[in-house]
Amino acid sequence: MSEERVREWKLHVIVLGLVIVTELIGTKKIDLGIGVLALFPMLYALVIGGFISWPTFNWLKMGEMKRASYILGIAFMLFVAKLGTMLGPSLPQIFDAGFSLSVQEIGHFVGTIILGLPIALLIGMKREAIGATFSIDREPNLAVISEKYGGDSPEVRGALGVYICGTIFGAIYLALLAGFLGSLGLFHPISLAMGAGVGSGSMMAAASGALAVTFPEHAEEIAVFAGAANLITIIIGTYVCIFFSLPVTVRLYRWLEPILGRRHAVDKGEGVSR
Amino acid sequence: MKQKLLIVSIIGLIAILGNWVGYGVSPIEALPGIMIIVAVTIIGWSLTDCLPFKLPAVVWISLLALLITSPVFPGNSYLAEMTAKINFMALATPILAYAGLSFGKDLADFKKLSWRIVVVSLVVYTGTFLFAALFAEIMFRIQGKF
Repeated sequence: MSEERVREWKLHVIVLGLVIVTELIGTKKIDLGIGVLALFPMLYALVIGGFISWPTFNWLKMGEMKRASYILGIAFMLFVAKLGTMLGPSLPQIFDAGFSLSVQEIGHFVGTIILGLPIALLIGMKREAIGATFSIDREPNLAVISEKYGGDSPEVRGALGVYICGTIFGAIYLALLAGFLGSLGLFHPISLAMGAGVGSGSMMAAASGALAVTFPEHAEEIAVFAGAANLITIIIGTYVCIFFSLPVTVRLYRWLEPILGRRHAVDKGEGVSR
Repeated sequence: MKQKLLIVSIIGLIAILGNWVGYGVSPIEALPGIMIIVAVTIIGWSLTDCLPFKLPAVVWISLLALLITSPVFPGNSYLAEMTAKINFMALATPILAYAGLSFGKDLADFKKLSWRIVVVSLVVYTGTFLFAALFAEIMFRIQGKF
């Protein structure tokens, strides 16, 4: 136990160092011509942290990385509390946007399927495609699908794959996407903020952070609406997955697979098409 | 619970230091705000443990935070004012730093995945973000809010 604690201090000290260094660097915007790339402290912290934990360097042991992941879960609750305190005073504003807020939520659930499933089939995935595209595959979604198909099924393999990709580069990718979409000027910052509430704390933090950098004059509202959308996604997400997303994905799969699926594709033994 | 309290206190301290360096709010000024946030988190956890029906801790913590800062709660303006001193990005930075430090544990699993799952993951994240933003935008335009 005391050994565990020593390790944990090491993590906290690294994080403290990362926070101070990255906050000193501050926010940078890079104009790419077609859009603006928003870079800000939490992204540097994520990337440098990832670098520090790169297994080849052996700077962190496996137990320490697992511990960091556990602390992440606890730390996220503080962020939830902070967002809650931002939502409280803005309740009238949120109720005012209530209708849009409920409709955009549908977008969160169908967006993964509409865009994801056809592409998964086109590139040759089979039943893995169901698990990979019925949701963004965070913990509650994983629980739903492994309960239905069992731990070793292709569906669960697909879901786990998206889960791992999400933990590895979900936050970075969403921050870049949010900053880019924001700079295009097609959407109102509040619409984008609702889009940022994908149902994962770190991804939402990174995406809404990028939006706040892109639209500094809307920073407060962005946090409020991203937080509200994220909360709705988390709270009702499990039920939507059970009663809507998963059944719909399975039906669409049966319908689309014969059309889009690459049946005669040679199995390269990558464990995807089987 | 004691261990969780220690962890959230440490993260709270790191956050107010980040808030100081990045947003120029002195730690003394930010201290009451972070204490409120830590207290809400701890009470939310206790509720999750005590109540007979099971709901994720996020639900209780966010509802509690929302309640105490909403216009119906006595002293809400003080609580809202104090917690507003903690910039939400300053609180997110340490969280993503821990996320970064846990990166290596998934790398071996990641290497076993085929390129297909990487493509699909990116598409799935794009889809959920883009469609939600699109639906929100359409609703706002129909309602004429912008």
